[in-house]
Amino acid sequence: MATTIPRLGMHGIGKSFGNVPVLADVDLTVDPGEVVALLGSNGAGKSTLMKILTGLYNRDAGSIRIDGEEVVFGSPSEAVAAGVKLLPQEISVMPDMTVAENIFLGDMPIRRRFGLNQVDGDAMRRRSRELLDQLGFPSIAPDELVKNLPVAEQRIVEIARALAGKARILVMDEPTAALTEQEAKMIFKIIRRLQASQVSVIYISHYLNEVFEISDRIVVLRDGRNAGNFATARTSRADVLAAMLGNTVDDLYDVGASIAAGEEILHVDRLSIPGKIEEVGFTVRQGEILGIFGLVGSGVEVLGRALYGALGPVKGSEVRLGGQVYRPRSARAGKLAGIGFVAAERKKEGIIADLTVRENIALSFQERFERGLFVSQSDESRHAKRWIEDLGIRTRGPEQTLRTLSGGNQQKVCIARWLVEGVKLLILEEPTRGVDVGARREIYGKLRELANRGYAVLILSSDVEEVAGVSDRSLVLDRGRIVGQFTRGAKPAELMAATGNDPAFSAA
Amino acid sequence: MAALFGRPWSGVAMLGVFYLLLVLIFSVLSPFFMTLRNMLQIGGNVAYIGLMAAAGTPLIIAGGLDLSVAAIAGLTGVVISMLYTAGIPIWIAVAIALVVAAIIGVINGLFTTRLRLNPLIVTLGMMSIISGIALVLTGGLTRPLSVPGFNWIGAGRVFGVPVPFILMMAMFLVLWVVMTRMRFGRFIYAAGGNAEAARLIGIPLEKTLISLYVISAVSGAIAGTVLGAMLGAAGPNAAGAQLLTVIAAIILGGTSLNGGRGSVWGTLVAVLILGTLNNGLTLLNVSSFWQDVTRGVVLMLAVSLDQIRTRALGE
Repeated sequence: MATTIPRLGMHGIGKSFGNVPVLADVDLTVDPGEVVALLGSNGAGKSTLMKILTGLYNRDAGSIRIDGEEVVFGSPSEAVAAGVKLLPQEISVMPDMTVAENIFLGDMPIRRRFGLNQVDGDAMRRRSRELLDQLGFPSIAPDELVKNLPVAEQRIVEIARALAGKARILVMDEPTAALTEQEAKMIFKIIRRLQASQVSVIYISHYLNEVFEISDRIVVLRDGRNAGNFATARTSRADVLAAMLGNTVDDLYDVGASIAAGEEILHVDRLSIPGKIEEVGFTVRQGEILGIFGLVGSGVEVLGRALYGALGPVKGSEVRLGGQVYRPRSARAGKLAGIGFVAAERKKEGIIADLTVRENIALSFQERFERGLFVSQSDESRHAKRWIEDLGIRTRGPEQTLRTLSGGNQQKVCIARWLVEGVKLLILEEPTRGVDVGARREIYGKLRELANRGYAVLILSSDVEEVAGVSDRSLVLDRGRIVGQFTRGAKPAELMAATGNDPAFSAA
Repeated sequence: MAALFGRPWSGVAMLGVFYLLLVLIFSVLSPFFMTLRNMLQIGGNVAYIGLMAAAGTPLIIAGGLDLSVAAIAGLTGVVISMLYTAGIPIWIAVAIALVVAAIIGVINGLFTTRLRLNPLIVTLGMMSIISGIALVLTGGLTRPLSVPGFNWIGAGRVFGVPVPFILMMAMFLVLWVVMTRMRFGRFIYAAGGNAEAARLIGIPLEKTLISLYVISAVSGAIAGTVLGAMLGAAGPNAAGAQLLTVIAAIILGGTSLNGGRGSVWGTLVAVLILGTLNNGLTLLNVSSFWQDVTRGVVLMLAVSLDQIRTRALGE
């Protein structure tokens, strides 16, 4: 091995956003024809590293060599030209174009006719045919519209597109997230063919069994640093999990004791959402934090908002809220029934960036800050100041525009909205996504305090450490079902193992 | 730069300076411009445009758009004139016309919210339907609308101030209070600033937007009433040419086409600027055809300014 020049050599890569270091001295090498799995929990730096490789971000430090040659990518198109292709997690195909058009999108073969440059449809179809045959899919017709293909075959069209431009390095981000097990096998088959033709693959996935099936080597990142480099054939899942998650419980979650849980606030019995959630049941008590962990696509991204009512009426479910029958119908109905909801995508679904902190906090229960016909700014201000102080929101004051606050402080504003009389249950999706470590600790502390003050708190998160760390009880969701139940003190690795990644763990 | 453009009031202040500059230039160029008589004249002349632009402002802030407003103004004059000719008392005729406009507003609102159609398409279609109906009703002819008492709201003066100007200022004042001091106002900014977030905290988005379409349509009807009373005649397409001025004023006034940002005072200053520009160019004997060109240029400058401002805010 020492004699071959690696296909990719990233050395000493460093990157900070503002004052927050995201990557520090990270190395990643990939040989020609090698499949390297890149693992790490949320925020470990995987996607930042890949964005640097594919030219989306500039690095602050370090070097990148491809086939021995130093490269600097100023933009994604320069990376693509150098043969570095990214398959994003969300499938990006043009549904109303044909398979052949999708494959040659951006680089269509041209012929000259009647003095005009025209797309050479014949050449495009012919070369699509060759590529699809090479990949082992003679059944996909180049003239078919992509929207008529099943999702897995759309994925394959995407891969063919990457190969059409002579890929040397293919980065696949959770390529099987929306696929069935059978379809995932098809993707693996393709990866083996790519391997045979000396294409290097960087494979990002949370599913350990996939990683062990397909990769030659596993590189683990933790907190923006290299945390492990394993030859897949000579390592165990336990070693990889330990490198990913560590064995020590972070003091991030050491934020005060919980009190004894009180009466039952939320009782869910056999909640189903077709195709996403299957007969899920659980309860949340007053004074308790229940955490639900699930990977992308497990249903964790819909369960909370379905209960709140944001997905409209949920049929056939039996939900009780504070002992009363509660039917999720609409966000408004959920709010009036006493549920507060903090959405995962803070920027898109949470903050109203151009309004002030005061206006954002008062907005959810605006009718309570009125004197007669008019909004009472002094009432709003008093209320906002109280929660700015209580939650430690760092702002020049209630009149600051929310846009200019940091992510963590914006998140606190989103929580403060629901801290009014009558709200019994707080549902939070990904409560600390995109929040720096200091603010994370504060948010966990405040959630604990709110629980102790009598709120029932339900957290849904794809961050396993967060769920294991902050919850009094935790559930693990996998493919729409609850597959594990844990009490306080469970290790992140145990929760992760329950997702079906590791039979040895789930038996324990 | 970012700090300057970011503050809502800085935009209005800049416009104010621009307005004063314009006044200064025309004063130098024409001796007839800087007279109290002419200034009040401008105020009266732009009032019907201001009425439409005032109500269009919160609608655009909330993420909507109403291109049918000027057509509604035209239809209103026609309806009032025909009902009056048929023997219905003039003020009852006005009331009926306002109700008709409100219904049109509800239809605009339902199509854009319930069916989630693009407001540009819906209100463009509505504009065509309404101006078509007005043409059918009149056979394309302008109808007389000369009624003692009634014409006062278009041509009358209170202490020398034109009544239409007073009506326009009242409209701006009421909307300003509603938008800054009432719950409904908060919902307007929230709906336009981040509709999904607003929905998720249980704000009645549909109700808010439908109400705004109704307000816009009714203000179109009020504008049509004022215009008819001012001219003593009702043409089927009396205000149609001013649709572009209305939209231009709102955007020039600093309201973001993306929604979420803007104020009625910016719109007011912009209406005065556009009115002054027309008046000044007329006094300088510039052909009205050139005035169309000027308005287009101002609109494009305003939209560019909007973009620069948005980018300065880092979106």
